[in-house]
Amino acid sequence: MTMTSRHTVEAPASVLTAPAAERPHKRTGAWRRRGRRLLWQMLALSVAALFLTPLLWMVVASLQPVGLPPARTLGWFPQGVAWSNYSEIFRIIPLARQLGNSLWVSSVGAAVTLLTASWAGFAMAQMAPPVRRRLVALALLLLLTPASAVWLPRYLLFSAAGLIDTYTALVAPALMGTKSLFVLMYYWSFRRVSLELFEAARLEGAGVWASWRHIALPLVGPTTLAVLVLSFSHYWSDFVDPLLFLKSAQRFTVAVGLRMLQQMDVTNWPLLLAGVVIMVAPVLLLYALLQVMLRGDAHFWRRTLRNGVGGENAQEGSPPAELSG
Amino acid sequence: MNLHHVRGALASSHRFGPQARHQLALWLLLTPFLAGAFLLIGLPALITFGLAFTRYDAISPPVWNGLQNFATIFQRDLFWIAVRHSLLFAATAAPLQVLGAMMLALLLHPPRRGAKLYRAAVYLSSVLPDVAYALIWLWLFNPLYGPINLLLGSAGLPQPAWLVDPATALPALVIMAALRVGEGMLLLIAARQAIPGAYFQAAMLDGAGRWQSFRYLTLPLLTPWLLLLLVRDVVLGAHGAFTPVYIMTGGGPGYATTLLPFLIYEEAFGHLRIGQAAAMMTVMFTAIGLLVGVVYRWANRLAYDDDL
Repeated sequence: MTMTSRHTVEAPASVLTAPAAERPHKRTGAWRRRGRRLLWQMLALSVAALFLTPLLWMVVASLQPVGLPPARTLGWFPQGVAWSNYSEIFRIIPLARQLGNSLWVSSVGAAVTLLTASWAGFAMAQMAPPVRRRLVALALLLLLTPASAVWLPRYLLFSAAGLIDTYTALVAPALMGTKSLFVLMYYWSFRRVSLELFEAARLEGAGVWASWRHIALPLVGPTTLAVLVLSFSHYWSDFVDPLLFLKSAQRFTVAVGLRMLQQMDVTNWPLLLAGVVIMVAPVLLLYALLQVMLRGDAHFWRRTLRNGVGGENAQEGSPPAELSG
Repeated sequence: MNLHHVRGALASSHRFGPQARHQLALWLLLTPFLAGAFLLIGLPALITFGLAFTRYDAISPPVWNGLQNFATIFQRDLFWIAVRHSLLFAATAAPLQVLGAMMLALLLHPPRRGAKLYRAAVYLSSVLPDVAYALIWLWLFNPLYGPINLLLGSAGLPQPAWLVDPATALPALVIMAALRVGEGMLLLIAARQAIPGAYFQAAMLDGAGRWQSFRYLTLPLLTPWLLLLLVRDVVLGAHGAFTPVYIMTGGGPGYATTLLPFLIYEEAFGHLRIGQAAAMMTVMFTAIGLLVGVVYRWANRLAYDDDL
C-alpha cells in the first residue's frame, strides 16, 4: 500500500518519461507472468498425468485379447482391441448378480447413514457446550479406531446374533452413521446454520423431528449429497466385511467377486481388469457428480474446515479466505 | 402476554417442562449413533481386551490363562517380524503421503484455469475401492508384462521383480500407498487457502522471497494440519494395509510383507488362535493410543486453538 501511494505521489513529476520508461518493463513483467503460468500449467498437467496413468493402463490392459500371452513390448494395442472381454466376464462369473447385491447393500447403507448421521449431528449441534465438546471428542476418537481391531470381536458378536451370511452384518455400521466423520460433517454444517432458527422453531411449538425434517435438513443439501456419495462408495468398496461375514457365493458383492475371479485364473489379466473397470466406474461417476453439483471441492471443504476449526469464533469473526497468488 | 408464553406455561404444567422434553428428544436422535458406537466399537474393544487373557479357539469356551498369550507372542519371531514391517511401512508410507499431499497442495491451490481438473485427477486414485486399487497395482507391478517394468526396460533401467522379490515387495506396497494422497491434498489446499493473502503481501513487502515466506509463514501455519494428517495416515495405514497384502502378496514372499493386521487375520481366522490374535490387537491398539496421545500433547504445546 505504501508503495502504490508513493508511486501516485511521484507520478505527476514524471508524467512525460513514465510511459516510455515503463512500457518495456511492463511488457517483460507480463511475459514473465505468462511464462510462469505456462510453467505451472505444464507442471500441473504432468502431475495430473502421472496420477491418471495407472487408470489408463488399467483400461488398456482390460481390452487386450484373452488367451494370447501378453505382449512384452510397450505399445497400446499390439494385438488388437477385445471389447468382448466386457461381455465375457459376465459369463464366467455371476457379475450381474454381484453388482445387484452391491447396489442393494450400498443403497441401504447410504440411506440409513443419511438418517443416523444427520440425527446425531443435529442433536449434537443443539447440546450444551460441555456435552457437545465431549461428543465431538468421542466422534474423533471413534474416527481413529483401527478397523482391524474390531474384526474378530464383531465376527463373534454377529455369529452370536445369527447375523453371519446376512446383509445386516454388512450394513450394521450405518447404525452409527457408518463413519463418525459423517456425523461430524453434519454437526459442522448444522452449527453453521444459525441455531436461533431451531430455537425459534421450538418456541413455535415445532418438535425436534419437524425441526430436523423441515428446517435443518433442507438447509444442508451439499452435506447430504457428500455424505450420500461417500457412504455409498464406502459400502460399494468394502472388502473386508463381506470377506469375513458372507459365506454363500450368491450373496457376494463385487469386491469379493473380483477376489473370486482373481483366484480362479491368476493369469487372465484382461478379464480381471475388465472386472475392475466395471467396479470402479460407478464410484468415479458418483464422485464426478458430486464435483459438478458442489461446483468445486475447495469451497465446500474450506467452509467445512473453517467451521470445524474455529467453532463459534470462526462464524463471526474470520474474514473470508482471500486467495493469494 | 403472547401465545408463546401461554403455550410455555401450559407445557411447564406437565410433569416434564418443554426444556426437559426437548433435551430428551435430542438424546433420542443421538441414540442410534451412541448405541452403534457402543455395539460396534466399544463392546468389541472390550471383548478383544478380555479375550487377550484367554485361550480360545471359537469351538470350546474361552479359558482364562492370564498373561500367557502376551508371553507367547513376544517369543514368536513372526510377531516381531510383523511389528518391524508394520513400523517400517508406517515410518515410510505416512511421511511420504504427508509430504506428497503438501507438495501437491502448494502446487494446485491457486484457483487457476484447470486447477479443479488437476485436483480431481490426483484425488481419483484415493477414491478407488481398495480391492480395485490393489488389483490394478498387482498388474502394474507384474515383473514380466507389467507396464512399469516394460517402461523401465525400454529406458534401459534395471527391472526389479517387485512383489516377487523379498527386497522390493514392501517398498512396492509403500509406493502404491504413497500415491493415495487425495484427501490429504484437499485438506491442505483448504488450509492453505484459509491463510489470509494479506500475510503473504506483508511478507513480500518485507522482502521475503518465496522460500522464506514458505518457511516462516506457510509451514508454521500448516503444521497442525500436517500433524493431524500424519497421525491419520499412520493409524489408517496400520489397518489399511491389510487389503493390498491380502490381495497382492498373501504376506510373502517369505514373510516380506507380513504386516500386523495380516498376521492378526491369519491367527484369528486361519489358525483360530483367537487369544493370541486378541493379544496382538491389544498391543497394536495400545501403541496407536500412545502415539495419538503423544501427538495430541505435542499439538497442544504448539498452542493451537483446537476448540471444536
